Amino acid sequence: MAATKTQMISRRKFLKLSGALAASTAVANPCRVLYALTKDSGVKNLNEIREVFSACDMCFNKCGLIAQVENDIVKKLDPNPKSLKSRGMLCARGNAGVKQLYDPDRLKYPLLRKGARGEGKWQRLSWDQALDHAAEQLDKIGKQYTRCGFLFMAGTDMQSTFVHQFAEAYGSYNIISHESNCLLSRNRAFLDTYGVMPTPDVLNCKYVIMPGANRFEAIVTPDTMDLMTAMENKSKLVVLDPRFTKTAALADEWYPIKPGTDMAFFLAVAQVIISEELYDKTFIQEKTSGFEELREHVKQYTPQWAEQETDIPAKDIKRIARELAKAAPSAMVYPGRRSSDYEDSTQIRRSYAIVNALLGNWDQKGGLLVPKKVKPGSMHLEAPFYEDNPDDRVDAGMAQMMFGEEGSFKHTRDAILKGEPYPVKGWMTYKTNPMQTGANRNKTIEMINTLDFMMTVDITMSDTAWMADLVLPAPSYLERQDPLSAFLASSTCSGVITRDAVVPAMFESKPVFWIVKELAKRLDLGEFFDYTMDDFRKEQLKKIPEVAKAIKEDGVYNITGPSYGLYKGKPFKTTSKKIELYSTRYKSKGIDPMPVYKSPKSIPENHFRIVVGRNAYITQSASTNNNLLWELQKENHLWVHPESAAALGIKDGETINVKSSAGKVTIKARVTKETRPDTVYMDTGFGVMSNWLTNIAGKGACIAEILEDRADIISGNMAMHETFVTISKI
Amino acid sequence: MVKKLSALGMILVFMAVFIGVAIAEGKGNSRKGKYLFRKSCRTCHTDGAAAKDLSPVSKTQAEWVKTFEALDTLQCKEEWANLSEQDSLDIYSYLHGHAFDSPSPAKCK
Repeated sequence: MAATKTQMISRRKFLKLSGALAASTAVANPCRVLYALTKDSGVKNLNEIREVFSACDMCFNKCGLIAQVENDIVKKLDPNPKSLKSRGMLCARGNAGVKQLYDPDRLKYPLLRKGARGEGKWQRLSWDQALDHAAEQLDKIGKQYTRCGFLFMAGTDMQSTFVHQFAEAYGSYNIISHESNCLLSRNRAFLDTYGVMPTPDVLNCKYVIMPGANRFEAIVTPDTMDLMTAMENKSKLVVLDPRFTKTAALADEWYPIKPGTDMAFFLAVAQVIISEELYDKTFIQEKTSGFEELREHVKQYTPQWAEQETDIPAKDIKRIARELAKAAPSAMVYPGRRSSDYEDSTQIRRSYAIVNALLGNWDQKGGLLVPKKVKPGSMHLEAPFYEDNPDDRVDAGMAQMMFGEEGSFKHTRDAILKGEPYPVKGWMTYKTNPMQTGANRNKTIEMINTLDFMMTVDITMSDTAWMADLVLPAPSYLERQDPLSAFLASSTCSGVITRDAVVPAMFESKPVFWIVKELAKRLDLGEFFDYTMDDFRKEQLKKIPEVAKAIKEDGVYNITGPSYGLYKGKPFKTTSKKIELYSTRYKSKGIDPMPVYKSPKSIPENHFRIVVGRNAYITQSASTNNNLLWELQKENHLWVHPESAAALGIKDGETINVKSSAGKVTIKARVTKETRPDTVYMDTGFGVMSNWLTNIAGKGACIAEILEDRADIISGNMAMHETFVTISKI
Repeated sequence: MVKKLSALGMILVFMAVFIGVAIAEGKGNSRKGKYLFRKSCRTCHTDGAAAKDLSPVSKTQAEWVKTFEALDTLQCKEEWANLSEQDSLDIYSYLHGHAFDSPSPAKCK
């Protein structure tokens, strides 16, 4: 209870700070700060206040919000109480969205690089000049290297679908989502076990084990709020994390597990549940395949053995396994929404999926669910086929089971650098920043320097934009009309949301939908984009009029009713039509059909393992420069345990060197017991190269500079925890 | 007429055998298959058109195998007979490779 109170106070402090800053900026000096950034500087009808529905875009969650608008100026963003997914709340980052809109650092017009790449010399272009130039480069590269010679990469955004459609109409198979720098190994593991990526019903869960995920800081709605509510209702939370995160601080039990050993823990939990017959025999018989193989397989993984690997006492592993089983089926291993960490990341996540299956929590209240969903219609793209194209993606075959529609940033970059199996010489990025989020920044720079042309569409001059040849300004989420977006959340809160422009787009910014339409016209592909956003939305809503009505009236469409008990008697989308404890598909591909534990590489002497994570103030590199959020965190630090710091003579706050085989940075040390002595940590999103991000230029260090690029062998997802660093005094 | 039907039957039987062998050897071009599926199949197999809406995730991999082994039983068998063996195989590769229970189920677009 005390823990809950702390969190609430903390949240109120955020909101108070956000609100106070927004108010002081808006009220104290509206003309200088706000009107100066709008085309129409006339002040009229000061009392006219509109409330406009929208969906937040400060992270991927799309929480419902209501913008308070006065004379086309957004004064404040409030949570939409009708948005069940966000449980009627808006976090500190959501409140700070107003400063993404009114950010003096925003890109204002198209820019063409004039100096060397990354030198920061630019020439202003008109939109016609910029689009003509981009179209010319797309045409030239397509003709010279085939259409697959152009790479497209779009972040999580409601308009990213148009970048994908453009790439397809243009003819390139090389499209990467940001997710190969994020969580594909989790999706891979659960899809291969359950045939689907289930959603955790945290709200109704009685016992949650959270390996690595940091849900009270790395906010996921509704899981973050639901976990708090569940804990108020006496749910138990056990956190395994080498860092003492806020989630660890509020948990019932925290184990600073040795990094890279989560699979050992869960195989031992499985061993206890099976050997003590703590599972639901009917469920196992009816819903799973490969149980006997699993029983044999986990015999070797005893809690005593796991203690040596994980640094977690055997008696605790046994007790936790028994407690979990007792709470089942309202018990779970939280699947996580964190980035991949090790080269066997998919297999680590498979071990989570398997323990969940042993708990029989599929489709159960407080377990793993696949909620009902709405399927908006779509404009079907009849893309042409280019006979001269190569057979497949440039990264095809570089991972054992890559998602063809997601690709792998790491493998694509390697293939481009090698020039094999064919050259890729063009790159378009939209609202993604691999220069900050893709491990081994120097390699990304090297790759960019092999390209003939690179263009970036973004709101601000990110590090990726900084390296581009052509930079095109996009509006923020508050200035544009988006398509509908269906979302799956957990209990009774899946639905559909959309956005209309809350205020007119500022400067010369244009949405990426408009950009690809204009490029398509210039490339003789206009017929594939011969529709407006209104047309697109009408098509989406054609068969779901109730959604249109709800969105108009409430700003969101919620699916109500229980999300569990929906799949009784229905087969799973797997080869065996059951939950695959033993994967015959893996076996046929030469992959271990059940997770086989291998100890993580030992940390060399005088080295530390560096791990990644997040706090509640920032969404990686997308928000560190935000005027309000920057007030909460002005730079990042390297977390170092006091024992390790003392051995190296490093003091708290001292600037130190951090070095790996990928690169070297300087950063201030944060000497803290909140990490293990063998593990160091830093936030993402600092140490920028772009000096157009004026708040954070020259502050902190870039983690992508020192992370080595390793990949999860199965999915091709970047593996973020495989890097060892040395630290030293300057 | 009988001759015509028997020729059609032979073409489809031959195609089924060819596809069966080619499937085993993994020779289809899934990328081209996607284009051909849209061009040749989706004109009818879409919402509001003559046939049931169809996409790779409409069937499991095993069901697609069965479908392609029995093209001569489909209502649209004449359309199939007009496609080349390679085109049919490419369509199969796309549908099978992105089936309901495949490693990369097709996304709705």
